[in-house]
Amino acid sequence: MAISLPVVSRVAASLLGGYAFVWGFVTLGIMLLLAAGMPYEEAQTLLYLLAFLVFLACFLWAFAATSLARVWAVLAGGGAAMTLAAWLLSRAVQ
Amino acid sequence: MFQSFRLSMTWVHTWFGLVLGYVLMVAFFFGSLSVFDREIDRWTIPETRFPAQPMPSFDAMLKPIFERLQPEEEELEEARARVGGPLPDAKPVMNWSVYTTHRDPVLELYAEFAITNNPKDPDDHVHGHATIDPRSGRLLPNDPLKVGSEFFYPMHYSLHLEWMELGYWIVGFAALVMLAALVSGVVMHRRIFRELFTFRPKKQEQRSVLDLHNLTGVVALPFHFVFALSGLTIFAGVYLPVDETMLKPQAQAHAMQEAKARGLAFRPAGVPAPLASVDAMVAEAKRRWAARGMPGEVGFLWVHHVGDANSYVSIYRAGSDRVTLVGQAVHFAGPTGRVIFEEPPPTAVSGINDFLTGLHLQHFRHWLLRWFYVLGGLAGCACIATGFIFFVEKRKRQHAAQGVSGARWVDAMAVTTVTGMLIAALAILVANRVLPAGLAHRGEWEKAAFWGAWLLAFAHALWRTSPVRQARLAPAWAEQCWAITTLGVAAVLLNWITTGDHLLRTIGNRYWPVAGVDLFILASAALAALAAAKLVRRGREVPAAVASGEDSPTGDVEPAAPQAARVAS
Repeated sequence: MAISLPVVSRVAASLLGGYAFVWGFVTLGIMLLLAAGMPYEEAQTLLYLLAFLVFLACFLWAFAATSLARVWAVLAGGGAAMTLAAWLLSRAVQ
Repeated sequence: MFQSFRLSMTWVHTWFGLVLGYVLMVAFFFGSLSVFDREIDRWTIPETRFPAQPMPSFDAMLKPIFERLQPEEEELEEARARVGGPLPDAKPVMNWSVYTTHRDPVLELYAEFAITNNPKDPDDHVHGHATIDPRSGRLLPNDPLKVGSEFFYPMHYSLHLEWMELGYWIVGFAALVMLAALVSGVVMHRRIFRELFTFRPKKQEQRSVLDLHNLTGVVALPFHFVFALSGLTIFAGVYLPVDETMLKPQAQAHAMQEAKARGLAFRPAGVPAPLASVDAMVAEAKRRWAARGMPGEVGFLWVHHVGDANSYVSIYRAGSDRVTLVGQAVHFAGPTGRVIFEEPPPTAVSGINDFLTGLHLQHFRHWLLRWFYVLGGLAGCACIATGFIFFVEKRKRQHAAQGVSGARWVDAMAVTTVTGMLIAALAILVANRVLPAGLAHRGEWEKAAFWGAWLLAFAHALWRTSPVRQARLAPAWAEQCWAITTLGVAAVLLNWITTGDHLLRTIGNRYWPVAGVDLFILASAALAALAAAKLVRRGREVPAAVASGEDSPTGDVEPAAPQAARVAS
C-alpha cells in the first residue's frame, strides 16, 4: 500500500490520538479515584496498569474502524475532554 | 481503508512489525542477555571472579568507606555549569545507599551530595560511588565497564539514547507494537492451536519460515505479552509523567502526607546527630521478617539525611526467594536505632504491580526459570527474524520483476539486526579481552568496538545483499554467520589466554558464571557455523530451483492448507 494521506492520518490518529486518549484516561481516572477516597499512589498504580491495555485497544481500533473522522473524534476529542475534566477536578480537589 | 477487520490487522502486523521489529529485536536480545548480566560482568572483569557475597557489616566495613566517598569529578563539572560558577567547599552528604543481590560478588556504594548554591533547584545534588570487595573492604577500581549490567542491560530498555529519554520512548513504542503484533497475529491466523504443532522444515523456504514465525510467536505468546506490558508499566512514569506535570500538586501532597503518617522526615532538621549501630538495625529487621514468616537477607540499605537529627535508615529485604518484588522495608531512626515504621503487606493493586515488576526484573534465585527467560527472549528474536525473512521471501521475486529494491533494503536491515547485532555483542567481549589493562577510558574503547563492529556489519550487509535484487539469496547472511563463529571462538580462547580460565578449569571448579558465558558463546558459534554451512549449500541450489519454476509465490495469510491438515482439523 502506497503512503497516502489517509494512511498517514490513520497512523497519526493511532499514535497521537491514542496517546491523548490514554493521557486523559489516566489523569481523569486518578482524579476520580482520589475523589472516591483512594490514596494517590494506589490510584496511580492502578491506572498505570490499565493505561497500556487501553492504548493497545485504541491503537488497534484506529485501524479497524471504518470512519477515520470518528477515530480522530473519539481518540483526540475524547482524550482532550477527559484531560479537561481531570484538570477541572484537580483544581477543585486541591 | 481496509476491506475487512482481518486485513486491517494484517496491515498493522506487517508494517508496524517491519518498522519496529528492528528495535524489538534489540530489546529481546539484550533483554535475554540481561538475565545473566552479573555473570557477563564476571567474564569481562576477571578480578571479580569470586563467589557472591552477603551484605557485610555496615558499622565495621561500609561506614568508614562511605565517610571517605567523594563526588564524581564529571558530575561536579556539570554542576558548575548548572550553577554558573564555583561550588561551595562543603557539599553535605544527603544519603548513602548500598545494593546487592544473590549474584553479586562485589558491592556498590552510592552517595548523594547536596549542591547548596543553585537558586534554581534547591534539591540539586551530585553522586559519588565506589565498588568494593566485601570480603576485605578493599576498594576496587570503578573504571572497568560492567559490560553486562552497565552496557547490555541499559541497551535493553534505552538503546543508550539518553538525550530527552529518546531511547526509552522508542523502546516503549516498540513494546506497544509488540502487543499489537501479538493481537493482530492471532487475528490473522485463525488456526492458532494448530500453529503450535506445525513446523515443516523441508517445505519451501517461505513456508517453513512462516511455520517457524507462527510457532515461536504462539508458543511464547503469554511470555511476550506479559513482558511487553510489564516493561511498559515499569517505565509508565517516563511515558505518562503525570506526577511531574498535571497532577504534581496531588503527587507532592501525597508524598508529604505519606512521610508524615509514617513518621519519616521529608527534610533534614539541620541539627547534627550521630548514627546509631546500623548492624543492630539489620538484626532487628531480619528478626521482624522472620516473625512474619519470610526470613531473608538484606538487599538494599538506605541512610537518609546522613548525620542529621532527622536521619533514618531504610532496610529492604532481598527478593531472591520469590517472584514478586517486595522490599518489606523496616525504617529506623538514625540517631536512636528505634523502629519508626514497618511497611505493611502490599494492597491488592500494589501486589499485582509488584508481581508484574518482579516477574520482569527476575531477582529470584531459580536457575532453571532464568534459563526459561533466556529461551523465551530468544524465541522472540527468532519470531521477529523469521518475520523479516518471510517479508523478504514473499516479495523479492515481485520486487525483482518490478525493478524495485524494497526487499533488498529490508534484507540488509535484517542482516544488520540479526547477525550484525551478534557480531557487535561478541566484538565488545573480544575488545574487552585484547585492550591493554591500563588503557585510559578503556570502557569507552570497548563501547567503540561494539558500535564500530555493528556499523561495519551494516555496511557489509548493504553491500552483500545486492543479489536480493535478482531474487537470489543474500551472501551477507552466511558471511556474517562465519564472522560470528570466528569472533565467538576467539572470545573464548582470549578468555583462556588472558585469565587462564579455560572451560575444563571453570567447569571443574563449578564456577558457572564464567563457564556458562563461555559455553553459551561456543554454542552460538557452533549454531552460526551450522547456519552458514546450510546457507552456502542453499545458495548453490536455489538458482536452479528458480530456473525450473519450482518456487511459486504464495499469499500472505494461509495458502491452501495441505489435504492432511484439512482432514485433521
